[in-house]
Amino acid sequence: MAFSTQQKNQLIGSAAVLMLAVAGLQNRIDPLRNQKALEPKSATGAALGGAGGAARLPFEYTLGALTGFRQVIAGLLWVRTDTFFHSGNYDAVLPMIRMITWLDPNWLDVYATGAWHLMYNFTDTDQRSDRRYLGPGMALLNEAIANNPNVYDPYKEKGWNSFDKLKDYDLASEALAQGEKADPKYDITQVGHLLAHSLERAGRIDDSIAQWKSVIAEHKKRISAPGVSAEEKGRNESGLRSSTENWRHLQIRKQVRAINTQPPIDVEFTAKVTRLKPRVLKIEGTWRCWGTAGKSFDMGTLEKPGKGVLIAGPTDGARVDVRLQDAGYEMQTSDTFSFDIDQTITIMQDQISTRDGKLAEKGGLYVAAGKTANTADRAAQNVNVYQFADGQVKQFGLGAVPLSRGLAQLSPLGKRQAVSVAYPLAYNSPTPFYSDTDTATKFAELSKDAAKLADLDKKGYHVSQMTVEKPGEYSRQFDMSKDPTMYSFSKDKYELILSLNPRIFPDNIQDRFGYSGEGLTDKNYLFTDAKKKNLRMIRRVITLSKADLIGTGEKVLVAK
Amino acid sequence: MNTALVIAANTISEAMRRKILNAFLMVGLAVIVFMFAFSTFSARQELTLIKGMGLGIISLAGLFISVILSIYLIPTELERRTIYTILSKPVTRYQFLLGKYLGAIGTVAINIVLMGILFVAAVAIKQITGQQPVDAPLLFKGILMTLMQMILLCSLSVFLSVFTPPLINFFATISLFIIGSMSAITYDLAKSQTNVIAKGFFTAIHYIVPNFGNFTFTNPLINPGVQVTSEALFLTQNVIYAIVYSAVLLIIAVLVFDRKEV
Repeated sequence: MAFSTQQKNQLIGSAAVLMLAVAGLQNRIDPLRNQKALEPKSATGAALGGAGGAARLPFEYTLGALTGFRQVIAGLLWVRTDTFFHSGNYDAVLPMIRMITWLDPNWLDVYATGAWHLMYNFTDTDQRSDRRYLGPGMALLNEAIANNPNVYDPYKEKGWNSFDKLKDYDLASEALAQGEKADPKYDITQVGHLLAHSLERAGRIDDSIAQWKSVIAEHKKRISAPGVSAEEKGRNESGLRSSTENWRHLQIRKQVRAINTQPPIDVEFTAKVTRLKPRVLKIEGTWRCWGTAGKSFDMGTLEKPGKGVLIAGPTDGARVDVRLQDAGYEMQTSDTFSFDIDQTITIMQDQISTRDGKLAEKGGLYVAAGKTANTADRAAQNVNVYQFADGQVKQFGLGAVPLSRGLAQLSPLGKRQAVSVAYPLAYNSPTPFYSDTDTATKFAELSKDAAKLADLDKKGYHVSQMTVEKPGEYSRQFDMSKDPTMYSFSKDKYELILSLNPRIFPDNIQDRFGYSGEGLTDKNYLFTDAKKKNLRMIRRVITLSKADLIGTGEKVLVAK
Repeated sequence: MNTALVIAANTISEAMRRKILNAFLMVGLAVIVFMFAFSTFSARQELTLIKGMGLGIISLAGLFISVILSIYLIPTELERRTIYTILSKPVTRYQFLLGKYLGAIGTVAINIVLMGILFVAAVAIKQITGQQPVDAPLLFKGILMTLMQMILLCSLSVFLSVFTPPLINFFATISLFIIGSMSAITYDLAKSQTNVIAKGFFTAIHYIVPNFGNFTFTNPLINPGVQVTSEALFLTQNVIYAIVYSAVLLIIAVLVFDRKEV
């Protein structure tokens, strides 16, 4: 039974009306569908090719991506990327990251892993990072933030990479603060704690204290939140303990450092640069690296802060930053990631540790350590007793008076040193050395104890006849000849920047030099960075020519 | 209507006899493989991969089941001449067509729902055993969108099957699926064109070709933190879109089939 003409007309009319309804519906769906959360525009970029066509999907992937299988393609590419990574094919990983982040701009792990890969995994033979990739790494994170502005993860990644790799604490603080603001569910340890540390290293001590206070409040809030899981509660309790400790220590240190860092120490920075072979440099020098001796720091309490540094002296641990780069180079950042880098740029950055600084005060103790001078034991370190090799004893005129014969020559410090090494305090002792009263009692006891004195003589303890300080030394060879693609030396002029940044010194050294170098000076190389809240640092910039670096034969480029 | 439902039930049982549920078993196997395939990745990455791949494979399986089932619905009846027997009984052509269509979408729905339940259960188990927040049930939103997309695709295929042979129908359906899935591009092209003819062309494509891209809803399901504005409204509108557009295609198919020489 066929339709009558009237029925057909009715059906045609109905179809037309419904089709209009469909068009109207589509009009309402379009603006909703057009939101980035559903249909990122970059997905078509992946398919059609971007970055000069350098990263283009194969046809079958393009078709898949454009027909609603974006995430499947992105997933397949990510699995492939993982195999590239594990087979050491690092270069192949980069275009994959480009395509995946285009296909799925909300896949946070790809940005995080990609930025880490760019900023940490491209290295030279000596495991120094290829710093030409830092700009692209940061650009990838900027892109991650632009595509995911309401999630804390990309801010956290930018904060961490700025903190750890770039050592740009202002940038780290900015990113982490944005992360806290953008996402109420931010990870308090990864974002809140790191922000406090970043503010401290940026020299914003009061802001850092305020941040710790805010972190403590947030931990308390999360601990008492209704329905909090046992795991979450435990994590917050642990975070609360560490943040309270940090908040307390920072306030105490702020107070004692204002006193302990004065007067400033002239670090007498020296540097010698020698070209050993083409593209091989030896950089060496000395400076007075001072810090708290052993455990000799009196923290006290928040209500009654201690004295801070009890004994300071030459110490190991701080590093000299070395950066060789094209003259005038500045890292370029962008909001759009491209994995292409300028292969003609040369940047080498590393650090050299400082060690072997020593001090012997007239009337104090030193250890004659034979041919080699090793580190003195813990009890000796707490009271600034250093070891000197035989040659050094002679060179510095320390005299060869054993402790048993030099008791009468001992200064008050020497007496304290003698009783401390003779009767070491327990490791967990609340004080690093004996009080003045106890020192007097113990010294009287020691003076009568011939066996103990003989034992100390045997261990090499001597009374110094001179006050002598040997500055810390740094020395390292940089071989850039094995990585010609990373160090192309294409330009004519280079700058070698040697610097000491107190903001990244360990706590025991920062205790003497201050957060921002308040206790540090140098007749020749003191540099005050107004852009970084008047950071006082040592900075020596040496201009070198291409011939200096690639020339043959050994040549001293910079004498002390 | 009862007649159409009887034909639909027969169509479903015939599809089952043709072991169409094997597709479900294959997908089930794939889901089980996914559960272990990405264990070298971090827990969050693993889950992203499993969810993305799982939804993708359900969608792909649904696509093939829908197209292959629908393109043969009418031609098989004509080829076997069973249509003459059916139409000689008190069954109108539109009842026959509607019944076949309902049978096809019933079969597709059974498959997708079974695949969906298996997949969601697997993800939930993974999340529970990994001590992660369990959000697996949210994946049903994506499965619903896939189902509506396939209902629309079935109606397109049934519509084409009344006047094209299966092979042509297959390519035509797949082509229109691809064009309809790329509607975000045609939408942008329509908006950005200055040439009136080109603008009109892309606008027409955007509004006339079934907009399969509307049903893409994977992103917010696999990426934590992605928030969709007016999600409920968007999903509801898409359900209505699929139903209304399917109705339009079926009306035209009924009209064409009514005049067709069999």
